[in-house]
Amino acid sequence: MRKVFDLGFKWVTGLCALLACGVLALMVGAILFRGLPAVSWHFLTEQIRLVGADGGIFYNLVGTLILITTALIVSAPLAVGVALLQGIYLRSAAGRRRLLLLLYLLNGVPSLLFGLFGFIVFVKFLGWGKSWLTGGILLGLMILPTVTVALIERISSLPRRYLEAAAGLGLTTEQVIWSVILPQSVGGLITGALLGLARAAGETAPILFTATIFAGATVPAGIRESPVLSLPYHIFVLAQDSFDPAVGTKVWGTAVVLLGLVGGLSLIALPLRLRIHEEANHG
Amino acid sequence: MFFKPTSQPPDVRRRRLPRVPHTRVFSWLCTFLVGLFLLSLVALFGWQSLPVWRDVGPAYVTGTLWFYRQHTFGTLPMIYGSVVVSVVALVLAVPVGVGAAICTAEILPPRLRLAVKIAVELLAGIPSVVYGLLGILFLRDWVYRLLSPWDPLSGDTLLTAGILVGVMILPTVLTLTDDALRGVPALQRQAARGLGLTCSETVCSVVLPQAWPGIVAAVLLALGRSLGEMIAVFLVVGRQDNQWPAHLLSPQPLMQSGQTLASKLGGSETNIAYGDPLHWAAILGLGLLLLFLVGTITAMSFRFLRQDRHA
Repeated sequence: MRKVFDLGFKWVTGLCALLACGVLALMVGAILFRGLPAVSWHFLTEQIRLVGADGGIFYNLVGTLILITTALIVSAPLAVGVALLQGIYLRSAAGRRRLLLLLYLLNGVPSLLFGLFGFIVFVKFLGWGKSWLTGGILLGLMILPTVTVALIERISSLPRRYLEAAAGLGLTTEQVIWSVILPQSVGGLITGALLGLARAAGETAPILFTATIFAGATVPAGIRESPVLSLPYHIFVLAQDSFDPAVGTKVWGTAVVLLGLVGGLSLIALPLRLRIHEEANHG
Repeated sequence: MFFKPTSQPPDVRRRRLPRVPHTRVFSWLCTFLVGLFLLSLVALFGWQSLPVWRDVGPAYVTGTLWFYRQHTFGTLPMIYGSVVVSVVALVLAVPVGVGAAICTAEILPPRLRLAVKIAVELLAGIPSVVYGLLGILFLRDWVYRLLSPWDPLSGDTLLTAGILVGVMILPTVLTLTDDALRGVPALQRQAARGLGLTCSETVCSVVLPQAWPGIVAAVLLALGRSLGEMIAVFLVVGRQDNQWPAHLLSPQPLMQSGQTLASKLGGSETNIAYGDPLHWAAILGLGLLLLFLVGTITAMSFRFLRQDRHA
């Protein structure tokens, strides 16, 4: 009886795992099946025509790349600063706990609310209108916890003897940070940044009201009133009226490109991430 | 600088003066900025939604009707929609996620475990707008066919949104539960197996009780994410205002279109509302409600997660 229960237990949990993987396979399969025929060199290098029914997504791709590059530039220095405070400067456990809670709360803020914040502050109050810079700043703040936590994990897993050796050489804290801690933990920053960018590339909600339009923008020339096109918003708009079969093919093609971009970024980060994770769990 | 003026000896003491610790200042400044951003986010939503709390008062969260032309703002149907969607999502995702996490953490050999974890990471990486697209083109029709005995108006229902969000939060539940289970020391598992317990008995009586806080934290985080999800829900929920059910616990609303806090905020009404102070306040009030709900849930999950680490 116990053996039977045990076997049943294993089967049920195994089915759950299989179901999770099956859903993934089904989704990715469906997207590739529908979208791959639409993806071609012309699709990637031509601009949008006939309200998405013809042409390609060149400037959407460019716009998304502009947005995530800006997000990276915004979030990387902030992440280094916050991670150093958490990993080096804050000595009390209570202080560290509070800072971590801050990061958790920031991570929990629904991405839509970032967008509304940007709409009020940048679009209306500062009068920027829709601008790529607003989108980049918002996405940067949104992915900040991801980047920071990856960096913190790496800093806190540095071997103590590195720090002891550096202290033994008589280096100041500042010198230790710039010559030992940061060079040794740059991998964490890269991993975190890749994961964050993968998330930022696919986000629609923060840029919906602040940075992106559907058609008629190319490479922005300034800050004010200079929106960009973007991949996720393209899908978002076309998905709402995708009854035209020509549009349907294009929207699936865009989904394939977006998925490729996001999957590529997270796949590069994956080996590093899994290693850190497993190390952290084994102590 | 090849020669120094001999009249002035190099000032040695100046070097000994305490330098400004640039890195330290930079570090505090960054953290201060992040904190300030979070604070100003809350303050902004609070301040901008002030008129609606003053003019509409408590009826804003107890009223069941929303007609912005008449300046009637009741948010209860949207709160209800958010809750229903999240509950459906949790009911679907938690059993599957926890089950799969038990499988990866306790049963699978390392290689397979890695494969499943990679698959789940990828599932987590799919953008919500792509989920929405899949929802529109597949899930909506499936739900319509599933519900056809009850004659639904369309496939855009709270149930559809709930299922979609359930798939979206599955990776969150799975990964975090897996972490919590693996946080339980292997020695305890070995001791339990040494006493003759089977694998399932070890999991149920040794591992799960200890990993409990971590699993609760995982579920709460998933709940927070499902409440805040906008894009995917927006595309499949139907966005029908004022859907307050006659009987709170009847399953009828599941088969009808609805509106959630997030889907309302993401809609075109947000653009219309900007000129009208009260309407704008009512819209941002939704944001404040959402922020409050998700913030509370995140803070709670943080507590559980910390408990788990200390144990």
